[in-house]
Formats: sequence, C-alpha cells, structure tokens
Amino acid sequence: MSTLVEFPTMGAEQLSSLRRTIDGSFRTFSREYGETLERLFDPLREFLIFSERLLTQSPWPVVIGVIALIAWLASRSLKITVGTVLTLLAIGYFGMWIDTMKTVSMIFVCTVVALAVGLPIGIAMSRWDKLQRAINPALDVMQTMPSFVYLIPVVMLLGIGRVAGMIAVVVYAIPPVIRFTNLGIRLVSKDLLEAADAFGASVWQKMFKVQLPLALPTIMAGINQTIMLSLAMVVIASMIGVQGLGQPVLKAIANQYFTMGMFNGLAIVGIAIIFDRVSQTYGKRLQKHLEVVHG
Amino acid sequence: MTMNNFPKLSLSILAAVVTLAACGKKEEPAAPAATAETAAVQACGKVTVANMNWQSAEVLAHIDKIILSSGYGCEVELVPGDTMPTLTAMMEKGKPDVAPEAWVNAVREPLDAAVKAGRLHYAAEALTDGGIEGWWIPKYLADAHPEIKTIDDALMQPKLFPAPEVKDKGGIYNCPAGWNCQLTTGAAFKAWGAADKGFVLVNTGSAAGLDGSIAKAYERQQGWLGYYWAPTSILGKYEMVKLDAGVPVDKAGFEGCNTKVDCENPVKSDWPKAVVFTVITDSFKKTGGPAVGYLETRSWRNETVNQLLAWMSDNQATGEDGAKYFLKSQPEIWATWVSPEVAEKVKASL
Repeated sequence: MSTLVEFPTMGAEQLSSLRRTIDGSFRTFSREYGETLERLFDPLREFLIFSERLLTQSPWPVVIGVIALIAWLASRSLKITVGTVLTLLAIGYFGMWIDTMKTVSMIFVCTVVALAVGLPIGIAMSRWDKLQRAINPALDVMQTMPSFVYLIPVVMLLGIGRVAGMIAVVVYAIPPVIRFTNLGIRLVSKDLLEAADAFGASVWQKMFKVQLPLALPTIMAGINQTIMLSLAMVVIASMIGVQGLGQPVLKAIANQYFTMGMFNGLAIVGIAIIFDRVSQTYGKRLQKHLEVVHG
Repeated sequence: MTMNNFPKLSLSILAAVVTLAACGKKEEPAAPAATAETAAVQACGKVTVANMNWQSAEVLAHIDKIILSSGYGCEVELVPGDTMPTLTAMMEKGKPDVAPEAWVNAVREPLDAAVKAGRLHYAAEALTDGGIEGWWIPKYLADAHPEIKTIDDALMQPKLFPAPEVKDKGGIYNCPAGWNCQLTTGAAFKAWGAADKGFVLVNTGSAAGLDGSIAKAYERQQGWLGYYWAPTSILGKYEMVKLDAGVPVDKAGFEGCNTKVDCENPVKSDWPKAVVFTVITDSFKKTGGPAVGYLETRSWRNETVNQLLAWMSDNQATGEDGAKYFLKSQPEIWATWVSPEVAEKVKASL
C-alpha cells in the first residue's frame, strides 16, 4: 500500500548526479562563451544606460513637458495630458522622481524591444500554422516558468543589472503581444479576405491594408497587456539588481515598511495607467481614421 | 450530465473516497501504542520555528524540526523568515516561537530590552565561533596582488573591481534589503569615503543576485569586492579572502550608528564578531518542556557548518537533505545536545 501513497522516485543518487551533470555542463558553457555573450549585449547595455541617463539627468520640467507633449500628440485628449502631468508631479513631490525615471526608461526600452520582436512573430504565426504549433509551447513556458529559474543562468552569464533585467521583463511580457497579434489577424473575416483577393491584392497588400487594420483592436489589447506585464516585472527585475521603483518596494517588503511599499506601488500603478491610456487612445485614433468601430 | 449518468458518477466518486479512506485507516492502529509520545506532545505542543532564507539557517531549522518532532514529540511548523522581520515579529507579536539562527547584532538594543522585560529569551549560542562578516575578495586576486591586504588598499585600486554597469568606477557589492548587512555595508562605504575613491555601491537585490555575482566573477576570474559572511557554502565553494579592516572594532559606534537606517556619521569599524543566538519566546519557554533544554544546549562550530554546507552545495541538497545527512553521519556531535533516550528516538526516525 505504501507504494501507492508515496510516489516511486528516481533514486536520490541518480537525481543528484543528474543535477550535478547539468550544472557542471552549464558552468563549462558559461566559462567558454560567457565573455562573448556578454560582449554581444554590450550595445544594448550602452543604450539602456544612455536612456536612463537621459531621463534622470535632464531637468524635471523638461522631462514632464516632453512626456506631456507626447501624451497630447498621441491622445489629443486634455484629460489624459493633465492627468499625466498631475501624476508625475505627485510622484516627484513624494520623493520618487529618480526611481520613477529609471523605471520609465527601463520599461520603455523593454516594451519597445518586446513590440519590435513580438509583432513580426505574431504576424508570421498568423500566416503559418506550423509556426504557430511550434511557438505556442514556447510562449506557454515563457509565461509560466518562474523567472528566477532562467535568471540564475542569465545572471551567471551576463551578470546582474540592466541586461539581465531586460531579459527577464521581455521574456515575461512578450507572449501577450504575440498571441493577440496572431489571434487578431486570424479572426479577420474570411469574406473580407476573399474580397481583397477579388480586387487583386498581393499578400503584403492584404496584410498591411486589410488584415492589420482590422486586427488593430485586438493588437492594441495585446500591446496594453505587454505594457502592464512589463511594469509588473519591475519588482522581480529589482531582485537582480535593476534600479528603479522595484528596489524600494523590495526594501519595504523585507523590512516591513508598509507605507513606503504602498507609495512606490502606487507610483508603478500611476506609470502603468499613463502608458496604458496614452497608447489605447492612440490606438483608437488610428482606428478612427480607418473607420473601424472599436468595441 | 443526464439523469442516467448521475448515479454512476456519484457511485464511482463514493468508491474512490472509500478506497482512499481505507488506505488512510491502515496508519491509525499505530497511534494508540504511542501513549508515551502523546504525553510528550502534551508537554511540548505546537512550535513555530523560523526558517530563514540562507543556507546555514535553513539547515539548522530543519535539524531542529527533526529533533523536536521525533525526539521530543513537538508539533513543529517551519515558517519562512529573515533577520529583521522575524525578530521584529517575535518582539512585537511573540510569533514565531523559535529563531534558530538569529544574527542579533543589528537589533541588539531592542532585543536586549525585550529579554529584560521577559518577553524573549536567549537560548544557546547557535554558532559558537559566531559569524564572520566583512568585505571579501577572491583568492586568485589576493594572490595576484599581495599588496592588497586591507580595505584601504583595495579602495586605492578601483580598476581591479569594475562595477557592473558604471564605466570607470569600482563596484562594492552590497547585500539585499532586509539584511542588517545592507545598513552596515552602506555605512562602511560612507565611513571609508569609497565614493570619493571612485567606487559605487552595487545593490544586488536578492541573495540570488549577490551569490550570482560572486559565481560569475569567479568563473571568469574577474575582480569582485563586496560584503559576505561565513559560514556559507559560497565561501566553501569559491575561496575568498577577507580584507582586514585596518581598524579595531568600535562597538559603540558600530551599534550606535552603523546598524541604523538613518546613520548620518558612520564610523570606521571592523565588523564585530557577529553573535548568533537562538532566540525563543517566553510562552514557548514556559510550555516547551524538555525541548527548551535542547534549544539551550544546541550549538556547533563554523568548521562543522562549512563542511556541511560544502556537502550540500556539491550535492544540490536542500536544507532538509542536509539536516538528514548531518544527523545520520555525525551523531557524535548532536548526541551531546540531547539525552540518550531522545537520541535513540531521533536515530530511529531517520
């Protein structure tokens, strides 16, 4: 009866030697190729550092002005622009300006990378079923594998800091945009595609003039999710040494300073809402021009 | 689900439940025989033991769990913990009952006050040699640069210890938030004027980040300078050399300012030997029975701990595996902590 209660396991010796072999081979790999891999990421690291310096060292009125301008140009909504300015002023007044700028810079670069990599993959997936079957399991792993599991090898190869943090954020945040883009394009009505064919549209014309514009609402939802998930990873990224709002939150958790944690958490929420409202309103404006009704 | 399927489904669920219950029932006949143990449970009762998140504390918490539950019949629950939160919770709320490896330097004053008031008690000095804290450099670096012996020597050469993301600056790796070493390292950074000498304080974020940075630097034979402590398995696996502070321990200044959050003028001081005690609550001391006597005797040397941690690291062992290995392989050490009958019970349960 005991074999039914306690699961028969691989012997402890075998399990331990299996672990040691895998660890050992990873260590050898890291010793051989670690340096090269690190050099490969150097341009990205330089760009991350440059963008952070740009935001933290510029005078704050300039930064708020530029962000408000971008918000206005993207959304053309007074409410959103005023809201953005007020949120940033509140964040600065409560002493979280530098941390917030570091987070904004990091998350902005990560989101751009996620979108630049994710949108093409999503489009490709929508065209080829085999690709979709191959990539879906990878997306499942990326969304559910606990971040620290793949961060341990990443830290060993690339060291703690921005690049490892960016890898953590991008791996977690990219699946929504891929899935939603794939879904949105596939959901475009077959009748419309037939009509486009009837008018003699080429493959690329169909993609860019019919499928993408019609899939835009779903794609915008995917972009929104990617932004939200990037910001959600801020605290995990801070656990591998990334500076920004995550570190005070971590400090607050570890030392049990409730208010500090709440303030920094609210700053993260504020940034998320700004990013989200601006991008969603921009998305709606894009669709207005194309006369697509957004739900 | 149609009405036809419902009886079949409910019958099969009932059958499964009965089978499982029958399997469970087979264990029960053993219980009435252990009346002596039930008496012991009544003597000891429920105990919450803090399982702090570094290896030596984890393995000690598991050793305590095994000995307290099979030797003294306590009902032991391990709760996750960390120096500051656990000791604060014990001081304010009286939970958890036991902190096996409490590094008390950081909270010495409030802890002493709680002990004086009778809310908490110091049990055994868990690490007889105490913890050794300080700033360490890799051995290969110390061998290549024999002129670097003290912290001042190291601070003169920022190029040897590159900061991970700041060009042309040296980096001193700090420990994560929640550990009192984050405060003391920051204070030492300020006291030694490291910022003026071209260094930055690198916040590693977590224990994994700190350990990962050492592992990476060691595998690539790069420079590394930062806080670490003994006994640990990282120091067992990657040989490091502790830098001499160059100044003696300034106990008053260290405890008065360096360990506090808002220390304006930290002092240059070596880290005092970190006293590591087992701390227990007053309520547990009153209700624990003979188990309290065990906690007041149990202590081991750094040498033992280092060896055990090195074994755990080589074998990818968890705290529980390490505890079982220690209890199986070194009875001559732990048998001195308990009475012979308890030792027999523990050996039998392994």
